[in-house]
Amino acid sequence: MEIPKIYSIKKTDKETLRKWLYLMILGRAIDDKAPNYLKQAIGWSYHAPYAGHDGIQLAVGQHFEKNKDHIFLYYRELLTAMSCGITAEEIILNGISKSTDPSSGGRHMSNHFAKPEWNIHSTSSSTGNHALHAVGVARAIKYYGEKAVAISGQGESSVSEGYVYEAFNGADKEELPVIFVIQDNGYGISVPKKDQTANRKVANNFTGFKNTRIIHCNGKDVFDSMNAMAEAKRYALEESKPVLLQANCVRMHSHSNSDDHLLYRNELERNYVMEYDPLAKFERLLLRYDRLTEEEILEIQKAAKAELKEAHKAAMSAPDPSPESIYNFVLPEPYISEKYPDGLHKEQGEKKKLITGLNETLKAEFSHNPDTFIWGQDMANKDKGGIFNVSKGLQQVFGKNRVFNAPIAEDFIVGTANGMSRYNDKIRIVVEGAEFADYFWPAMEQYVDTSHDYWRSNGKFSPNIVIRLASGGYIGGGMYHSQNIEGSLANIPGVRIVYPSFADDAAGLLRTAIRSRGLTMFMEPKALYQDPKAATVIPVDFEVPFGKARIRKEGSDLTLLTYGNTTHLSLEAANKLENEGFSVEVIDLRSLIPLDEETILKSVAKTNKVLIVHEDKVFGGFGGELSALITEKAFSLLDAPIKRIGSPFTPVGFSRILERAILPNADRIYTGAKELLEY
Amino acid sequence: MSKTVIIYSFHTQKSKKVAEKVIEAFGKDEVQAINAEELTSKVFQENDNFILSAPTWFDGELPNYWDEFVPDLEEMDLKNKNFAVFGLGDQKGYPENFCDAIGILVEILEKCGANIVGKTPAAGYTFESSRAQRGDFFVGLPLDQENQGKLTGGRVTKWVAQLKTEMK
Repeated sequence: MEIPKIYSIKKTDKETLRKWLYLMILGRAIDDKAPNYLKQAIGWSYHAPYAGHDGIQLAVGQHFEKNKDHIFLYYRELLTAMSCGITAEEIILNGISKSTDPSSGGRHMSNHFAKPEWNIHSTSSSTGNHALHAVGVARAIKYYGEKAVAISGQGESSVSEGYVYEAFNGADKEELPVIFVIQDNGYGISVPKKDQTANRKVANNFTGFKNTRIIHCNGKDVFDSMNAMAEAKRYALEESKPVLLQANCVRMHSHSNSDDHLLYRNELERNYVMEYDPLAKFERLLLRYDRLTEEEILEIQKAAKAELKEAHKAAMSAPDPSPESIYNFVLPEPYISEKYPDGLHKEQGEKKKLITGLNETLKAEFSHNPDTFIWGQDMANKDKGGIFNVSKGLQQVFGKNRVFNAPIAEDFIVGTANGMSRYNDKIRIVVEGAEFADYFWPAMEQYVDTSHDYWRSNGKFSPNIVIRLASGGYIGGGMYHSQNIEGSLANIPGVRIVYPSFADDAAGLLRTAIRSRGLTMFMEPKALYQDPKAATVIPVDFEVPFGKARIRKEGSDLTLLTYGNTTHLSLEAANKLENEGFSVEVIDLRSLIPLDEETILKSVAKTNKVLIVHEDKVFGGFGGELSALITEKAFSLLDAPIKRIGSPFTPVGFSRILERAILPNADRIYTGAKELLEY
Repeated sequence: MSKTVIIYSFHTQKSKKVAEKVIEAFGKDEVQAINAEELTSKVFQENDNFILSAPTWFDGELPNYWDEFVPDLEEMDLKNKNFAVFGLGDQKGYPENFCDAIGILVEILEKCGANIVGKTPAAGYTFESSRAQRGDFFVGLPLDQENQGKLTGGRVTKWVAQLKTEMK
């Protein structure tokens, strides 16, 4: 398909040419100056020079409409950032990590330019990671009927990443207005393209996609890039379909200031990439075709130099981030429950199962907020609603645009949730992160990145997502259907983790999670979905705040801390002990992060003995953190060592015999408690 | 009749060597060599027979010296003028766009009404795709110093003989 030649050296008006040249000269001046900040020990320790990508970066930025389109820059996009409207001063503020840096206030690495308030989104250092975010935000663009595009800037090596494939596939399947701009300079750091993929034209690896248009352009040429980008945007807007735009570039310098291309590029190659210099070519064209005179170019160079000087001065005198600020924006403030401040109720009536509590809460919240969405694997096909039918009937009530299946791609499920929530702060997304918690690992890449977002953007972007996962064992599921992962997740700041044991708490926590800003990991003990022992009366508007444990049984001789499946086993053991004359307090933590330290320590002060019980492995499990907390804060109150009961340091076996040998049971809890009581 | 004009970059190494072979085969006195980097429209207006050197850069691009001349070139009337294009490429390193530059330049020349001469059979090369290829023929002479350097001399000699007939 022919690319219309809207821009050319002869047709484009002089003022536009002048503006482009100014941006290109100023951008290159900063690109060249950046390493000096490191040499002078001021900062900017990571700089990936863009020289050689000038044409495409100018073009991408010129086609970005701030507050309307959404753009995700990678770490080599200084000129794209400036072409989008970010000033020289703002670039330097990011480079030297000042608190007024619009990207992150010095929290994120240099060369990661962003301005979330304009939809120039904060992005990861993981290459191509934001391709999924672009797809997610494009889903919102399409849903809300806005005439806008999402743009993902990335290097050609990023297409080797599995999640980039997931992004391309998802955008193609959903027919979303995303432009993936692949800036191809032939190298991933020192790795040549031939070691990444067999096809030199990497975009052509995706020619089989049904709805995606592939465009190639010369990223070193301003006009070819402008025309290609204009066509890409027209296509994405008019057809509401994705574009893969591959721009051939060269990398004139090393990958970054920690790389030395002298080690792997010979003199001939280094010389010819310099010959390709897009800025020099643009200047030659301007002169050759009498569009600007040498004097005019000199004037532009002088003006750019002056702006850079001022920008440097202003940035150098900007405030540094304060050490005290590190705790700001780890997690946003949660939804506050006025009616149920402690997450307790005295409602009487009919008991409902845990699965019913979740299902009815989802329906109620989807009615309450029209900007809620849910997707996942097995989410919605006729009478099927989620792998365990937790979301049964949602699609029939709320439609296919709010409740839908996702491809079997866990990272896609989480990554597009992150992206869609960037569209606005009203949106709330619930995802079934995987069929079972055990399958969540492919999504860890997006999980970790999403955990960073609020902090990394200095509070400018909060991913408002609830990730639901069917967790735990006691169903004979073995290694891929019966394990617990919360111990591994709890080490990552920026996420709330809740793990209810009863129907009312599940409903109340889910409501709070959906209404809150931020990322919540919602672990569902799947063995209890239908179990009558987890069924409770559930107030129709019940809410359980985060960080509020629930004393399920009061006692004075021993504190038993637990959550999830083992709450019920602990209660069983505690009741047996009570019959023997011991008074055991059972605390259902409900929420691991944040943790109700107050209730825990208060109980320890009363009982002076602690048994921690969870289904996950004892080694490295969350119980270790609980134990350490009590040791640090209440050691003098203890009359016995803290004891932990959980799974041994093995996977969970499939055979019921093996499962029983591994997962904790009421007898083991009873024995452990008895030992402590008699200590 | 004016001399045949051969246009190539004087600053190149491999292309320059091949251009010199073309000149030698043509006969030094019968051609006038012009540096592509100093090319003006006037050269095209004042002559009728041209041999252009268009090596393919990178993943299928014209060299800067041609690319920067295109805005002028595409506005020219080249009716009744003969153009033959040769160019270096790399079948193994860049099989997806082997000698694309020949094709790109020829497409522009054709739009200007030029008569393209010096087409050659596509047999004897191994590549995946080329903008220079039309059916069983190339619209010029592809040369591959990287992989078929030994064939260049023979290919040039044969091509020049063909040009002498076609440019009459």
